[in-house]
Amino acid sequence: MKILVIEDEKKVAQALKKGLEAEHCQVELALTGEEGFFRLCSGSFDLVILDLMLPGRDGTEILRTLRRTDKATPVLILTARDALEDKIIGLDLGADDYLVKPFAFPELTARIRAVLRRGKGDQGTKLSAADLEMDVAKRMVARARQAIVLTAREFELLEYLLRNGGHVVTRDMLAKDVWKETLRATPLDNVIDVHIGRLRRKVDDPFPVKLIHTVRGVGFILSETAP
Amino acid sequence: MRLRPASVRVRLTLWYTLILAAIVLALFAAVYLVVKASLVRQLDRQVESEFQAVAQGLGEEPDELAEIQTEMSSRLIQVRRGEEVLLQTPGFKSSGLGPQASDGAPAWRTLRTPAGDWFRLRSGPAGRGLELMVAAPEGPVRRALRTLLLILLLALPAGLVLASVGGSIMAGRLLRPVALMAAQAEKISAESLSARLPIEDARDEFGRMAGVINGMLSRLEGSFEQLRRFTADASHELRTPLTAIQSVGEVALREDLDAVAYRDRIGSMLEEVGRLSRLIDNLLTLTRADAGAAALTSQEIDAAGLAARAVEDLRALAEEKRQDLTLVSQGPALVRADEATLTLALVNLLDNAIKYTPAGGAITVAVSARAGAILVEVKDNGPGLAPDQAARVFDRFYRVDPSRSAQAGAGLGLSIAKWAAEANGGRIELESREGCGSTFRLVLPGVSS
Repeated sequence: MKILVIEDEKKVAQALKKGLEAEHCQVELALTGEEGFFRLCSGSFDLVILDLMLPGRDGTEILRTLRRTDKATPVLILTARDALEDKIIGLDLGADDYLVKPFAFPELTARIRAVLRRGKGDQGTKLSAADLEMDVAKRMVARARQAIVLTAREFELLEYLLRNGGHVVTRDMLAKDVWKETLRATPLDNVIDVHIGRLRRKVDDPFPVKLIHTVRGVGFILSETAP
Repeated sequence: MRLRPASVRVRLTLWYTLILAAIVLALFAAVYLVVKASLVRQLDRQVESEFQAVAQGLGEEPDELAEIQTEMSSRLIQVRRGEEVLLQTPGFKSSGLGPQASDGAPAWRTLRTPAGDWFRLRSGPAGRGLELMVAAPEGPVRRALRTLLLILLLALPAGLVLASVGGSIMAGRLLRPVALMAAQAEKISAESLSARLPIEDARDEFGRMAGVINGMLSRLEGSFEQLRRFTADASHELRTPLTAIQSVGEVALREDLDAVAYRDRIGSMLEEVGRLSRLIDNLLTLTRADAGAAALTSQEIDAAGLAARAVEDLRALAEEKRQDLTLVSQGPALVRADEATLTLALVNLLDNAIKYTPAGGAITVAVSARAGAILVEVKDNGPGLAPDQAARVFDRFYRVDPSRSAQAGAGLGLSIAKWAAEANGGRIELESREGCGSTFRLVLPGVSS
């Protein structure tokens, strides 16, 4: 997969490149708006990660020009501007997603997966990891063929972890996507930790292989092997 | 108004002098006129009595004419019969009046001789067909009046100069407190806000003004102090995770560790980054709130529903501490508010209650309506707050127990809750007694259906 990163902050750009390459993507960097625009015109990409405040040519301008000719290439805006109006402007101009800095890398990759998945329809109602199975439609969870009873919140949490199976999810992502909190200042970290603990007790404790792991300082991951 | 002098003192003095000048002029004019009238009347009386005396003499004794000629030679008397002048005293002749005609009827006249002397004339019949005319020079009267006028005109400017000097001195003395206040105020800057203006007499206008300014200075000093404390607290709070990141990183670099241990160190650093990031989010929320730049979308929402959601969101935390968390509400309670910030207020209040109520305690969230307002009460049976703690509990970075800082967060939760309530047109009331628990009451304007 080919990704163009238009980002003027060198350290961030390099980190993005390395991180995305570790996820088996091909990454091209553009450090100015002009360069980004030039690369956009001369090549084709599966995804564009776009900063808004750029030297030379503003991110919104690049997006506007791009959308005139190309409606298909997904664009993910990555910016320090966190005002609601900026978000609305960006999405109205045709961006597919909007992520505010500072961002957690797992969240970025999750958003990229979501953007690329979009339009492909079928999200699947049956999810699984190792011997854990979930039927989203029937709201049933089982591990090693033993049914597990979960509360609604625990079910949503496990579903989210399963859908991001093998990838780290952060507390911010959980607060936003599972608890539906829009403001970062809402204190939910402790609540999330408690729910993860409960989920573990039901899903992992009775079984020898643990599936839910904590990635210190980042978040949680559902995978057969410890990270 | 363009010529308005800049100094109040000059303005006061000018007005003062102007008014005084008007009063003195009017007074002088009155004095002059009264004196003039009185002098003229006195002269007239004198002429009249002389006329009567001579007329009586003429009427009774025919020889009187000769007698007048000799005895009253210095007086100004003329006697005529028809066209013929029977007598003119030497005084009359030398006065330069010349023969004066008269029509026989009693009359008063004021005449000016060709030499420029003024005379008062009284003429009239004196019996036996004689016509008598008595005159008196107006000179002395006119001279006296001129002298009076001169004195008055000289006195006026002198008086006005004296008055303006006196007025200026008086205005200066009256305005002295203002000058003192200005001098003192000039010395007051952001660094020396503790200084106050001098008050000479607290009851007069200047004293009251100084009092008002001093009150303003107190409030300014308070907010500067608050700002200073906030900056100090904020930098302390920001430095704590930064120090942790730095020392963990530096130590890890010096050690020879395996991959797992390095991962652990990096994870530890990222935890601190998360704390830093959370703190900055909170500070940003408050800064935007201060600037009034928070984007709120006001809509009709059910406060009871939001409270129920907050309770369900945080129930897990209460359960971990075996706290009894109950929600009491009677159906929907409509308010007009921004859902996200209102949730922020509710979650922060509830989070605070769970955090500071000991394990096994009880927390009640009650939604009710009272006098058009919607109340959401978060009541706990925790340790409660002393009055001085209750007064400061909404202050930024304030922690009731500073030693618990690590698990209790940065002490911004209640400040954020307070702002979030106020941003939605509401407020938070606190009822607390030490040992008897606390009640945080979110009061929101209700929507009349």
